[in-house]
Amino acid sequence: MGSNQSLPKITAQDKAILDLKLQRDKLKQYQKKIQGILDREHAIAKAQIAAGEKDRALIALRRRKYQQTLLIKTDQQLENLEQLVTTIEFSLVEVSVLHGLKQGNEVLKEIHKEMNIESVEKLLEETAEAREYQKEIGDLLANTLTLDDEEAVQNELLALQWDIEKEEAAGVILPSVPEEEPIGEATTVAEPRKEPEVRQKVAAPA
Amino acid sequence: MIVVEKRGFVLPSIHSAPPFFTEQPNPTTHATATAQWIKLILTYARHRKLFTLRVEDAETAGSDWEEILRNERINRKILAPHLSNILEAMVQQNLAVYEPPKQARSVLVFWRLQEEWAEVLYDWVTSTGQLNTIMTFYDITDPPLESLLTNIPLSLLRKAIGILGKTNRSQIIAIADGEGVRFLSRSK
Repeated sequence: MGSNQSLPKITAQDKAILDLKLQRDKLKQYQKKIQGILDREHAIAKAQIAAGEKDRALIALRRRKYQQTLLIKTDQQLENLEQLVTTIEFSLVEVSVLHGLKQGNEVLKEIHKEMNIESVEKLLEETAEAREYQKEIGDLLANTLTLDDEEAVQNELLALQWDIEKEEAAGVILPSVPEEEPIGEATTVAEPRKEPEVRQKVAAPA
Repeated sequence: MIVVEKRGFVLPSIHSAPPFFTEQPNPTTHATATAQWIKLILTYARHRKLFTLRVEDAETAGSDWEEILRNERINRKILAPHLSNILEAMVQQNLAVYEPPKQARSVLVFWRLQEEWAEVLYDWVTSTGQLNTIMTFYDITDPPLESLLTNIPLSLLRKAIGILGKTNRSQIIAIADGEGVRFLSRSK
């Protein structure tokens, strides 16, 4: 027992899987054997034809055909076996995933024990208070501008006002947005010639 | 003179020396020649991934080992008793083992030490993500994608698994129908 302690136990599952795999190996070896027979029959048929024995060649080919059907059948069986093995092995993986999830869940529970809702609420409250305090300080600081700053602000305001007055004095009169509905399309389509004249009239005073 | 054989194996110049193929009566020369033979056999086995060397390979033409056991250019080949002696020396030096045991006609050549094979095996299992999976020996010797372990003899594989077992990195699972193995991550 001493040296074998770290080895996992061989379970009935393990043995079942091994059994399946050994069966699979047997099928594979059987297929190899059939393949050998196929090659042999082919060679025999060839030799018989060369020797002019057509009937015998035919027999060899028939035997070959039969073996071929066997090969196809074993292929299907092999597929079944392999599918079963894969399914079992995948289920084992699923089991271990489940185990992992379970453990993770336990850990999460432990952690949750340490942070109950009351202490979180208290913590959040304290944080909110601290934030409030910070905001108050910020407001206080913002409201106490120095005299110099105030003067600069006033100057800026004056400059802006002066700029606006200057623009108005320059007398740039922009046309106002037309209040009437535009004339329906029908008229413009019917009399396309009149339009250029209208445009000229408008352009002249500008 | 260096001769490159068709499979890309570079034969050492000593392979073209006729005395190399005859057992030397002088003990010192004999020891040197045997050492050269062992080196040649191991490098060739590694090159072609050969595992089994039989005494009869010296006599039969067309064997896997023909390239090094014969030299047609100088019309020489190693004789069976000579090869048998070399095999014995290899077994003594732990570079080979009689396989099957209790006979002296064929050996399993260790062109990688058994401990090295164990590491190769473990690296392969880890890199293909097959730790903790139950595998059959056939899974290892005949994987769908050829690996370094493809066609490794079962006895050698068993030894490698046994070596990993000593450090708790492998576990043999036996049932009525056969055996399997599970490789485990290196424990703390």
